[in-house]
Parts: sequence; structure tokens; C-alpha cells
Amino acid sequence: MTELDHRVRGVDHVAFPTFDPAATVRFYRDVLGFPVVHSICAAGWGPEDHPDFIHFFFDIGNDDRIAFFYYFGTDPSLGGPEGAKGDVHGRFGADVPEYFVRSRHLAIHVENEEDLLEYRRRLDASDWPVEMQIQHETIESIYTHDPNGYFFEITRAMRPVTPQEDLDAALTIDALLDVVAQPEPTFGKLLARKAELIVERAPGWEPVGSEPAR
Amino acid sequence: MTELYILDVPENTAVAKAAAEDPAATVGQVGPYFVISAEGPIVIDRRATGCRHAVWYSCVAGVARTGRITQHDKDALRVEPA
Ligand SMILES: [Fe+2]
Repeated sequence: MTELDHRVRGVDHVAFPTFDPAATVRFYRDVLGFPVVHSICAAGWGPEDHPDFIHFFFDIGNDDRIAFFYYFGTDPSLGGPEGAKGDVHGRFGADVPEYFVRSRHLAIHVENEEDLLEYRRRLDASDWPVEMQIQHETIESIYTHDPNGYFFEITRAMRPVTPQEDLDAALTIDALLDVVAQPEPTFGKLLARKAELIVERAPGWEPVGSEPAR
Repeated sequence: MTELYILDVPENTAVAKAAAEDPAATVGQVGPYFVISAEGPIVIDRRATGCRHAVWYSCVAGVARTGRITQHDKDALRVEPA
């Protein structure tokens, strides 16, 4: 299905607004030790009454970066009324379920358990201690909220992804597209469609490359 | 006839093993999937698998249309003829 060559090279940067640059720098640079690698100081211009701003970047490894905008003369009310839940950019009422509020987040990768626990130590010694440490299916993650309320995850793989998981992911997505094209998609319908695709496509499947399936 | 598919990855082998303990069920393989089949219901005891939450609740890859999941909670996974 995927015949387009894959040329992209990871995250260049992901950018968020901040109204508290001091705490943001403390969290990312001083607590986590992410180096400041780039910044832009710009006078406001343009038709929209754009404020003067600082755009600053922290290295999150791999030359990927997390960036913030600080707009002079603004405060969190810029983004609308304060939310009972969410962060300075995404504001939600008390009735919005937590799984939805947390669904959009950034997860930063570490190599192994030792490194995960090192970041856990750094956070736990700070004003932003780890709120949860969870082993998911094949990854282990720690979570907190940064000074802007952004839900923040650091994660490690507990084992490499196997080729059969790539097959399974492809079948899942094809089944999902079939099911959401019909009225009232359900998990049960997805599993039934996936069973059909497994019968169709799994028997002839062979792991790509020389690495044996584990 | 009920058929349950489970991807063959290290976390899931305990689920297939627990399923095989039921004499009414047979465990086969289709490509990289375990296929657990039975004439009647398939019941897998959560405790017998020793699976963590996230693994337990995401271990099902497919259920043939001849059956459907009637229970998937902290105690058991049950697939019954539709
Ligand atoms: Fe995540």
C-alpha cells in the first residue's frame, strides 16, 4: 500500500505558547537538562497586531526540538477563559473526560530503563514530580505536567517492535477504514473485520528483511 | 464455532497458553497469529495469564464473525458463538 518513498526525518520542532517563560526554562533546561539551542527575538509585525515575541527552543535529543513562544504583554486570558482542565492552549470544562484532555501530548524517547529512571529522579526532585509511571503493552512511561499544564511523557521501549506488529498495525488500519466507512462503527465490528483480513493475508506473510521473527 | 486471533508476540504467549488449557479449545497458528478455536465458547482466565492490564486488554487481534466477545474484564475473556 505504501509505495511513496519515505523521506522525512523525524520531528524538527513542536511549538507551544507559554505565559511563564521562567518556569518553562526551569523545567526544560534546569530540571530536565535539555539544552537551549536556538532562539528568535522578534518585533511584532503584520496586520493582526502581533505582539513582540521570543521563540525559544530546547534540544530533546536526536536534534529534535521543543519550542515555545512567549508574547510580551500577554497573559493566559489571551487564549480565552481559564479552563477547569487542560493547559494554557487547550482549555476544557470540568465535565470533559480526562482521557480526552490527555489524549494530545508529547512523548520523548529514552533508550532504556536506566535513562527513564534518571529523568524520574530529576523530576521527582523538582516542583513537577512524576505523577504516574506505567508499563503499557510494550513501553514504559513516566508522566507529569509541565509549568504550562502540557501533559508530558518520557517513554522507553521494553523490547524492539517485531515485524509481525507491523503487519498487525497494517491490518488494524485497513479494518478500521472498512468499519468507519459503515454506520455505527464498534470495536466488535473492527475485530470481526480484522479476523477476515488475518485469514486473507496472514498465511502468506513473511517477515521483511533478514532478521528472524522474535 | 468460535475463533479468536491473538498476535504472536512475547507478551501474548501466556494468553495463548492459558487458552490451550481448556480441553475444548485448540490452539493453532495462521502466519504470526495464534488461532484459538472451539465449537462452543472460549474462556480465558485472566489470572492464569499473569498479564499486565495494558497487555490483557489489548491482546485480541480478531474474532471471527461466528463468535463475539461477551466478557473482557479483570476476570476473564469470553468469546461465545454469535
Ligand atoms: Fe503517549
